[in-house]
Amino acid sequence: MDLKWSEAIEGLGPSLLQGVVVVLQATIISFILATILGLLIAMCRLSKWKVIRGIFVVFVEIVRGTPLLVQLFYIYYVVPLLLNHLLSSGGTQPNIQFTALSAGIAGMTINYGAYISEVFRSAILAIDTGQKESGLALGFTQLQVLRKIVIPQALRNSIPVLGNYLVMMIKDTSLLAVISVSELLLRTQTYASQTFQTIESYTILAVVYLVLSLPLAHVMKMIEKKFHVEN
Amino acid sequence: MSETDQSMLKITELSKYYGENHVLKKVNLNVKKGEVVCIIGPSGSGKSTFLRCINLLERPSSGSIFYQGNDVLDGKWKTNEYRQHVGMVFQGYYLFPFKKVLDNITMAPRTLKNKDKAEAEKEAFELLEKVGLADKDNVYPASLSGGQKQRVAIARALAMNPELLLFDEPTSALDPELVGEVLRVMKELAEEGMTMVVVTHEMGFAREVANRVIFMEGGYIVEEGTPEEIFGNPKNERTREFLARVL
Repeated sequence: MDLKWSEAIEGLGPSLLQGVVVVLQATIISFILATILGLLIAMCRLSKWKVIRGIFVVFVEIVRGTPLLVQLFYIYYVVPLLLNHLLSSGGTQPNIQFTALSAGIAGMTINYGAYISEVFRSAILAIDTGQKESGLALGFTQLQVLRKIVIPQALRNSIPVLGNYLVMMIKDTSLLAVISVSELLLRTQTYASQTFQTIESYTILAVVYLVLSLPLAHVMKMIEKKFHVEN
Repeated sequence: MSETDQSMLKITELSKYYGENHVLKKVNLNVKKGEVVCIIGPSGSGKSTFLRCINLLERPSSGSIFYQGNDVLDGKWKTNEYRQHVGMVFQGYYLFPFKKVLDNITMAPRTLKNKDKAEAEKEAFELLEKVGLADKDNVYPASLSGGQKQRVAIARALAMNPELLLFDEPTSALDPELVGEVLRVMKELAEEGMTMVVVTHEMGFAREVANRVIFMEGGYIVEEGTPEEIFGNPKNERTREFLARVL
């Protein structure tokens, strides 16, 4: 078998570099948004109002009970159709469309936001009641105790799991290929089908993912160490 | 001037139910400024619940609490503002593990009294000096012993400049050899005139430091008097039994 490694690297390499930019964009933006969304959902699920708790229980169950792949299709293809349908009135037909990347970021944000909310929720519940009471006894309000004492500790305790999710997220950006985001997998598919350098292309792709995720996992370990607080 | 006029804290007929469980039964207590009141009694007697009702960590089911003449339970005075006047020290210390000792102490005055950093830290250093931990400002609580943690917790409570300090079994979680250093700090506070209500199993401390000792059992105040009366000549049979067991 005659493998053309250097040709594949030269041919596919520049395209993959552009793909890396897309992957990093999608991952970083989705991760930040998902963390914020996760924290908001976690707070709502710990709310004293039953209705709010109920709404977000249902939301989280729907998101966790359906595949990310299906969610991406739904957001990219179905949501614009629904919106156009709902907003059409008196003959005017709006033409709402999402770019593939923004639909992808929305899908990853919602999906990971739901999972991360569970991480935060259990981390918040795991904080000793004594911590809250000692804050209250000093004269802090409930909200100040949550913001200044409970959440900082819950966030620190969540860092290891968040790190795992970040690495998973990088790899899950490959799913965005199905809604035509030109990330790494789609670029590789295109190149391989044109050149028939299948073995070379997909091997290079796998290596690129490794190069992205391994150092990140290492960085997360270091951050974990830095913020680790003994009780 | 009647006695109640000087009362810093006046608690009348305080009751607490948990469902069917009647934990506090019409308990009365007056605490005057500068007084040290020790509450003793077997576990489950309601003494900790009673203490936690004073700063409303537990909401009393009925009865009244007046602090410096203000009704604490009528809702006009915000609970968190009331608590800024009444410090509390817990059995489990509950220092904030993600903050260094100095920041544990300055956090409340900086946030709640808008003290600037330099001023709050200057006062925190004075408090650390007072509790004998002047060299521990820059470490995390995890590196301290139990006795040191509890002394930081006392300094943290003092940083809000409270007029009344509540202690909930402050030495019960400590190794025996560390109890002394915490009691010493408490005794100094008492000598400086701090008003204190102390739930404790340290009978030696109660005998030596308290102005008044209260014996609780089954949600009632069974007997109340000077340390000499309670420890020297207890009138109630149950007080005698309890003291015979613990002394």
